[in-house]
Amino acid sequence: MAGEPEGSRALGGLLSGLARDAFHGQPGITEELLRSQLYPEVPPEEFRPFLAKMRGVLKSIASADMDFNQLEAFLTAQMKKQGGITSDQAAVISKFWKSHKTKIRESLMNQSRWDSGLRGLSWRVDGKSQSRHSTQIHTPVAIVELELGKSGQESEFLCLEFDEVKVNQILKKLSEVEESISALMQPA
Amino acid sequence: MGEGKYMEQDSECRNKIKGQLVDFQWKLGMAVSSDSCRSLRYPYVAVMLKVADHSGQVKSKSFEMTVPQFQNFYRQFKEIAAVIETV
Repeated sequence: MAGEPEGSRALGGLLSGLARDAFHGQPGITEELLRSQLYPEVPPEEFRPFLAKMRGVLKSIASADMDFNQLEAFLTAQMKKQGGITSDQAAVISKFWKSHKTKIRESLMNQSRWDSGLRGLSWRVDGKSQSRHSTQIHTPVAIVELELGKSGQESEFLCLEFDEVKVNQILKKLSEVEESISALMQPA
Repeated sequence: MGEGKYMEQDSECRNKIKGQLVDFQWKLGMAVSSDSCRSLRYPYVAVMLKVADHSGQVKSKSFEMTVPQFQNFYRQFKEIAAVIETV
């Protein structure tokens, strides 16, 4: 099954549907939808184990975030297995992972973030002037709007005001974060 | 996350009373593995803000950023600093 060129296209479509269901959270991608759209001549009882096998292969690859060496070794092993995959199928899977890896990884990262994420940041600087008796005092302020939100939920907006002193305090903290990141990224 | 942008006239903040940042705590974490992905391996910056409203009440807000998002966040604050200095 799915050894011919048309089979390759169908398998590519199947992997795409599986990815959208398993990783990108798209609802409504049922077994019947995939079968009727991509493999209409295949009876459901034959399609079901095939779908399960492909889903399992894709999940294993994504879960291990396989690089191309690991992928090759993994697919070779799958080809040698009883009831495994064909070399044509391996080629389609390999091509699919190479082009979708980044996006799938991003979705998996988002799925594992349960706190709010930073969705947006905008700002402006105002020159606030106040009158104290007869003297004008100019205190510039930065107005910062942070857009926060948890996965699948509506955004929450935080509106903050910073004077120059505060901005510099934040900058100092942010440079500490950057130092930590650099230290982390250093080879051991 | 979009690049930081200049706040528009119709921003959400326009008619709100701005909060004052009272504290900024940060943590650099590493997500190792999860239920759906055994090999996550990505660093993230977790931030805990304490914000005082006009009545003095302090609320905590936390959020996470990926490293590229953090770098953009930092870049924006440097720009804010550069502008505020010249006003």
